[in-house]
Amino acid sequence: MVWYRLHWDQDNTDRPTALLVNYVSLASAMYVNGSLVYRDPQLVEPLSRSWTKPRYFLLDKPLLRQGRNTLLVRVSGLAAYQPGFGTVEVGDPAVVHPRFLDGVRWRYDLQMLDQMVTLVFGGLFGIIWLLRRKDSSYGWYALSTLLSFVYGLNYTAESIWPLPSTDAWEAVNAAAYLAAGSSFAVFLLRYVDRRWPRVEWGLLAINLVSFAAVIVAPTPSGIHRGWWFAVGGLIYYAATFGFAWHAVHKRRTDHLVLSACLMIPLLVSIHDFLLYYGVIRSDRYLLAVTSPLTVVGMGFALAYRFAVAMRRVEGFNLELKQEVDAATRQLGDTLTREHSLAIENLRIGERLNLVRDLHDGFGGSLVGAITSLERAPPSPVGEHTIAVLRELRDDLRLIVDTTTYEQATDLASFMATFRHRWDQRLELANIDSQWQLDGLDGLYLGPARSLDLMRFLQEALTNVLKHSRARHATTAIVCDRGRLRIAVSDDGVGFDEGRKTTGAGLASLRARATRLNGAFQRTTAPGQGVSLSLDMPA
Amino acid sequence: MHEKRAWVVDDDPVVRERLSGLLREVLGGDASLTLAEDIASARAQFDGSRDGLALVDIGLPDGNGVDLIAWLQHHHPQVTTVVVSAYGAEDTVLAALRAGAAGYLLKERDDSELLLSLQSIKRGGALIDPFVAKRILALLPEEHEPAPEAPRKTALSDREAEILRLVARGYSNREIAKLTSLSRFTIEDYTKKIYRKLSVGSRTAAVFEAKAMGWLN
Repeated sequence: MVWYRLHWDQDNTDRPTALLVNYVSLASAMYVNGSLVYRDPQLVEPLSRSWTKPRYFLLDKPLLRQGRNTLLVRVSGLAAYQPGFGTVEVGDPAVVHPRFLDGVRWRYDLQMLDQMVTLVFGGLFGIIWLLRRKDSSYGWYALSTLLSFVYGLNYTAESIWPLPSTDAWEAVNAAAYLAAGSSFAVFLLRYVDRRWPRVEWGLLAINLVSFAAVIVAPTPSGIHRGWWFAVGGLIYYAATFGFAWHAVHKRRTDHLVLSACLMIPLLVSIHDFLLYYGVIRSDRYLLAVTSPLTVVGMGFALAYRFAVAMRRVEGFNLELKQEVDAATRQLGDTLTREHSLAIENLRIGERLNLVRDLHDGFGGSLVGAITSLERAPPSPVGEHTIAVLRELRDDLRLIVDTTTYEQATDLASFMATFRHRWDQRLELANIDSQWQLDGLDGLYLGPARSLDLMRFLQEALTNVLKHSRARHATTAIVCDRGRLRIAVSDDGVGFDEGRKTTGAGLASLRARATRLNGAFQRTTAPGQGVSLSLDMPA
Repeated sequence: MHEKRAWVVDDDPVVRERLSGLLREVLGGDASLTLAEDIASARAQFDGSRDGLALVDIGLPDGNGVDLIAWLQHHHPQVTTVVVSAYGAEDTVLAALRAGAAGYLLKERDDSELLLSLQSIKRGGALIDPFVAKRILALLPEEHEPAPEAPRKTALSDREAEILRLVARGYSNREIAKLTSLSRFTIEDYTKKIYRKLSVGSRTAAVFEAKAMGWLN
């Protein structure tokens, strides 16, 4: 405890006079002309801490006296922690008050602001880490800021509660600084994706020692806290410079920006260290002014990572969308194909069922009816009916033959049955039949076109059988270079082309030719036989 | 076939009448015809000493015509059996041939065509359609497959296989005769031989095999 006595001469007491005590460490009581004007709550251990705030008084009569005035200051401090008394200013309030405000701003408000910003950012990163444990660097940063906050209480706390003594307070403060520096180092290591287990275990060991010292021997720890500050500062510098070196080498934007934001406070902190160790004299620690830059750097780093991650996510989304689209398209195509295949199979199945029903039921009845009519007494109507029924029967046979084959059947197979049947019929009618079938193996026309083609041939040969009275008939079906050429000719009686023919024979032949997309021709003359030709795409 | 004797086994009176008419036309008006409408009454009509021609329908009220053909083959081998296939029952033709039938008639064919077939059978030959030829060819082992065992009784000679292939492609007997430099009647004779080779001998075997091949339901 030290008493300071100051005197000043006051010329004029008509106007109030300002009194500014810019710095008292740690606690104080002040008397003006014997009257108490200010007193910290604790002037003995545990001492109050009012060392950062300047004191400002506006003095007026009757306290202010004409002539000699006395300011008596009782300073309570501890020798180890730079106790002291700053400067006193007396004068015009208009001049002194701004100085007071300036002092408060620099020595207290800025520290407070720094504390709050640090706390908020620490909290933010802590939450990020809690939600995303994988990013342990954020956790270490949060821990570092929390410890920095504890250390920063050195500037802003007004009492040492809950600690029992100023020694303990200072010891904890130094330990917090060391721990903050250590966790900051680990944060930087994690941030650049490095794991140096030995270094990290070493840091943990140093911190355990410092905390153990705080608990076991707070007083020596407090008194010798400078050593801890030195170690913490070294760790902090080493980490920051190491990071800067890494950033310059890797040239990653976020690393460079963060590194720059860390370097400025670092340089400033050298000033503060020199101040702390008494190498230079000032009443202002500047770190608090520049340390928000750290926060800016961290904010940038976080935002940068977020932006990069978002870009990646967006790119990924785009890629994913394209892949999903492609997969969807493929699936759609497959489903459509399977669907059409299923429909096609269903249609084939239905057609087969229908044809079988027709065949077995209707076909049997047709044959039965023909048989019955043939046994009946002959009559022109009966003959005609039998002929019609036979045509129906033959047509049904063609439908059955062309549609019931479950696998694809080539034209050669269709023609085998057809040719055999018609060969026999023409022979029975004493017509010598010649066949020329070429290139029909492996020629698939499909059921519909096969049926049309067979009907065309059947119609043509029926005409030969019924009307031609021919001796010879030639049927040629040749497939060559994508064209199918069909010719049916006989050497029968023929007819006059100009004569109007009854019956639907020709019209039906033409209709079938059209459906087959073919060119149909018929040439005949009385006594010259009939020649039909059909040229269609194969 | 020295005796003008024939049996018609069919449950449809109209078909019986039609077939009887055709048989009279082929065998002559003095032919002795016996008609039966089911297997039971048909069996009673056969006596051991006489040969002749039996036309047997597949779908009979008391059983399958293939059974009757197999029974005849076993008990009255001197009787030539011909299966009469209804419209839409062509698949059974091969089963009947396996059971010992010497030929087949398709009801849907015109009388003139059936007459042609019957005349061929009367001569001792047999007619064949492409669809039957194809079925028989399908029974043959693949051409390039080496035969692992001794040739079976059913193995066809090269000539027989050649004729079958030509039939399957739709050539008429007349054309085949030209192509192979054989007479038409020789072709019909080959056909009959092919049918005989198809016959599996026993009734049980015939029915079993027919079922196995899916010819009988």
